[in-house]
Amino acid sequence: MSDPESGDAGNDSSAPTLAEAEAKILACESSEALKEVEREYVGKQGVVARLLASIPDAPPEERPEVGKQANILKKGVQQAIQARQQGLADARVATEREGQGFDPSLPPPRPQRGSLHPLTQVTRELEDLFQSMGYRILDGPEIETDYYNFEALNIPADHPARDSHDTFFCEGDGHLVLRTHTSPVQIRALENLEPPLRVVIPGKVFRHESTDASHDHTFHQMEGLVVDRDISVAHLIGAMKTLLRGIFDRDLEVRLRPGYFPFVEPGFELDARCPFCEEGCRVCKRTRWIELLPCGLVHPNVLRAGGVDPEEWGAFAFGLGLSRLVMLRHAIDDVRHLLGGDIRFLEQF
Amino acid sequence: MYVSYRWLGRHIDLEGISPEQLCEDLTLSTAEVEGIEKFAPHLSAVRVGKVETRVPHPDADKLSVCTVDIGEEESLNIVCGAPNVDAGQKVAVATVGTVLPGDFKIKKSKIRGVESRGMICSVRELELGEDHDGIWVLPEEAEIGQPVADAVGLNDWVIEIDNKSLTHRPDLWGHRGIAAEIAAIYSRPLKPLSFDWPEWGDGAPYPIRIETPACSRYIGLQIDGAKATESPDWLKGLLLAVGQRSIDCLVDLSNFVMLDLGQPNHTFDRHALDSDGIAIRMAREGEQMTTLDGEERDLQPSDLLICSGDRPVALAGIMGGEGSKVGDTTDALLLEIATFAPAVVRRTSSRLGLRTDASARFEKSLDPTLPQRAGAHFARLLRELQPDVRFPAPPTDVGEWTDPAHTLTLRPEQVRRELGKAIPDEEITSILKRLGFGVEKSEAGYAVAVPSSRSTKDVHLDRDLVEEVGRIYRYGNIEEKFMRADITPPPKDPRRHLVRALQDRLAGAGRFHETLSYSFVHDALLEKLGMLDLPHVRIVNPVAHGEERIRRSVAPSLLAGLETNRRLLDDVRLFEVGKGYLPDPEDPNREPQELHLAGLVWASAPAGAGARFDAHAFNRLQGVVTDLLDHLEAAETHWRPAPAPPLWAHPAKALEAVCTESGDVLAVVAELDPGLHAGLGLSGEQASEVAVAEVSIDALLKAPQRGSRYKTLARYPGIKLDVAIALPETTAAAEVHSAIKKAGKGSVADAELFDLYRGDSVGAGRKSLAYHVTLQSEKKTLTEKDEQKFLKRFEALVGELGGELRNG
Ligand SMILES: [Zn+2]
Repeated sequence: MSDPESGDAGNDSSAPTLAEAEAKILACESSEALKEVEREYVGKQGVVARLLASIPDAPPEERPEVGKQANILKKGVQQAIQARQQGLADARVATEREGQGFDPSLPPPRPQRGSLHPLTQVTRELEDLFQSMGYRILDGPEIETDYYNFEALNIPADHPARDSHDTFFCEGDGHLVLRTHTSPVQIRALENLEPPLRVVIPGKVFRHESTDASHDHTFHQMEGLVVDRDISVAHLIGAMKTLLRGIFDRDLEVRLRPGYFPFVEPGFELDARCPFCEEGCRVCKRTRWIELLPCGLVHPNVLRAGGVDPEEWGAFAFGLGLSRLVMLRHAIDDVRHLLGGDIRFLEQF
Repeated sequence: MYVSYRWLGRHIDLEGISPEQLCEDLTLSTAEVEGIEKFAPHLSAVRVGKVETRVPHPDADKLSVCTVDIGEEESLNIVCGAPNVDAGQKVAVATVGTVLPGDFKIKKSKIRGVESRGMICSVRELELGEDHDGIWVLPEEAEIGQPVADAVGLNDWVIEIDNKSLTHRPDLWGHRGIAAEIAAIYSRPLKPLSFDWPEWGDGAPYPIRIETPACSRYIGLQIDGAKATESPDWLKGLLLAVGQRSIDCLVDLSNFVMLDLGQPNHTFDRHALDSDGIAIRMAREGEQMTTLDGEERDLQPSDLLICSGDRPVALAGIMGGEGSKVGDTTDALLLEIATFAPAVVRRTSSRLGLRTDASARFEKSLDPTLPQRAGAHFARLLRELQPDVRFPAPPTDVGEWTDPAHTLTLRPEQVRRELGKAIPDEEITSILKRLGFGVEKSEAGYAVAVPSSRSTKDVHLDRDLVEEVGRIYRYGNIEEKFMRADITPPPKDPRRHLVRALQDRLAGAGRFHETLSYSFVHDALLEKLGMLDLPHVRIVNPVAHGEERIRRSVAPSLLAGLETNRRLLDDVRLFEVGKGYLPDPEDPNREPQELHLAGLVWASAPAGAGARFDAHAFNRLQGVVTDLLDHLEAAETHWRPAPAPPLWAHPAKALEAVCTESGDVLAVVAELDPGLHAGLGLSGEQASEVAVAEVSIDALLKAPQRGSRYKTLARYPGIKLDVAIALPETTAAAEVHSAIKKAGKGSVADAELFDLYRGDSVGAGRKSLAYHVTLQSEKKTLTEKDEQKFLKRFEALVGELGGELRNG
């Protein structure tokens, strides 16, 4: 390589040429090296600058030529550098495209996430389904009075049906209880809203039961109430089938059989064909039917208790076990996981 | 309730109806059948054999060697230890390979050198009784080789019916009632049964006084010469099938009549009764009696007693008294068949926790006409079993009762309308007649006579008749219909909307897991949290001791399971939307105040020394709640120290978010009191930073909302610069923040604290704060001159705070 510092001894013998510069530029393998060459030629003290600085020393007739040469050199060097830079960039892209060292099997990092409780998910799904059919969603207190939880629902004091409710009683004179079902909100709805009406009430309920994998003393239900003129058992069947279609995304064979609940008359248990088997399984206890929906025409005494004239209005009501539905849907083996607060359970949903 | 298929056969011809079919039909028309099982299935494997010869065992005194004919070519050689075995007997033989109860498999064996190929069974080995003194000797007519079940009439199925589905049907608590349902379902007649009293002597009727309306009818029948002998096999067999062990003929008969007709009854030894007869009265305060089970019971005036003279001899409708037990030698009995007030029986049996077959029936409201039939049934059966018994006097039949049978008007149109099915009149009336209702054409439709057995509880309204028709017609025969109605969208529901938005934000951007908890909070937890003395709604009958209290807020529930979760994870983020209840301070009988809350907890392994100043659980949780309130469109809020932090909170590190406009407190965020960590299992390996927040959904719903916050996009570029200042520890960051704003004179678009530092370079008692500041104007592009002016003003303001700019 020629040393520009030593090149000013004679301007004829060692005049810097563009060809020389271009060769140097082409030999550069990195942008750092290119910068070096750029500084050597077009930097503040570079070849071109020194050439221009030498003009006053040159004979006057050669001065224009020296100036011209300097500019040609400058432009040429700059162009060559730009071209070389592009070449290097292209080469880099080409190398990257080869994809060396890429392991397609590397596990991706997952973002941290939160989750909604499976009961929330099922409740929302049903709320949306019911809202699309014109139902209103209501809420009611978990600590209820004896009147709403029993009396107004045609279960007077000393009625043997109270046994099956396994009630938690609050301290005091015994008229406050933890609600044993969401049905008391039926009465509140009848009292507060004008018929015709369609409501559903999701919520937490309590039964004083010993707990095991399939029983818990606290669980979630959704109650439904429809009041209208000329309500019949046939309408109830139609509404329940629509509901099941919404839940299971297909038509399930159902059967309606007598069931006793004092607040409905007639009262039914609605069984659906087990959606999990053809031959009987653990879920349906080998019967091929699963008990899904207690329901019935609302007892005239209940309508009266809510201030609605049973001669003028008919009504049907139904109850859905939300906890049970969640268990069915996810094949959960222990109901106590639902309220157990274990993140290993919660984060799966 | 257990029902025997064979027993039903005493009341109705079941020809052609298999037990399985019967169960299906009962389920679809009457009540839920929970299960059906073959009764004592091993009895079908054990066969009738005849002992041909019996010789003593050559090497054992107490054993005999028998040859037994079981109807096969070769007789079996069987070694038997029973003293009563003898040649000529018909016996139950379990042959080699038979499996008896208890997984006991019969094997070929040698007993003291003699081969034995089977076993001659005792009653106990076949689970038919307790008797194991000897082998079971079968009746002479048993056919050799036949399965024992067939030979002794124990070929039966046991049907279990869900008691709950019989709550309203006192008539179905006996086999004849179930048979009557079957009669209606299959249109078959019930077999006739005589309810005429057998003839009686002309002695004096037994004196019986009813002193309370809680007993509406009481029949007493004197029986002489009855013996407590062993019951015949048919009776034992039927009782066994429904789970009742045979005691003796008299006890068995009493049970049989109850299980046959549904009417409980009781026999007293007349020798043990005082001469002035029976009195039925309410108990007196402080009175006591000992019941048959040997328990001494404290009585209350709401308990109904059967007394002899003044002495209680039975807790009416529940259990007899100890002294009244009928012994082996008694020959003078008094049979009681009565009707007691259902609520009275129920109250006493609930209070004493004494639920018996009798009380279960009385509390269902028994038909007051039934005692006569049940009494006659008992007397006739007893005479059949013991022809020598005498009834010395007419039965005493006292009480004030009326036949509850009544008439309802049936409008067939109503039946069709409410069932939604065009069932013709003839079919409706036919169903009702099959069910035992009287049906006659009337002006309004039909007059339906409801029999007394259905009148006490069940059938009172026209609607009840609709059910009767529907269930026998079968609901499965009704086609679905769809309601026609105007559907209008239901009104907006702000609470639900808010809760959903909150859940979505926390589970989404917040990356929290939603949990749901029990409403009960354990005393031990409350004690640790210092909350045990707060007034709580309390349950009188908790699932476990110490779980009486209902939570006032959600936070304790979230803290309860923290240890378990922290053991698994370095970072636990949980939230719950739920309710808390505050009891009325004046009156515990008033409905408690209900709070709608969301609770959040963030627990993580302690942030290391190099962590950013705001990388702690508390800061992060406060950030989440700030974002949440903003997302829920609450109007502008600010944080301030909580004047009354929750009891679980760090006394100094507790802040509340306040709506600036209305002053509503929307949320509280606090660090968990450091004194609670160890007690909650959050020390040592699980040492944690824990922050807890509670958001009031009630307050959020009331508080003002902010409108849209859209601002047009900036037209001129801003200047970004970093400033760092050192100042005394006691100066709040908020003051620096206002100084930045003030220095900018409206041009500060953003000021973000990004570093908080304490250390040698700033000196003791001092800290350094560093901010990213963005200056921006809506009118022009700001220049370096503007930046200099800002810095100059800022420096002056910082000086007033006792600080100085640090050049970074
Ligand atoms: Zn199945």
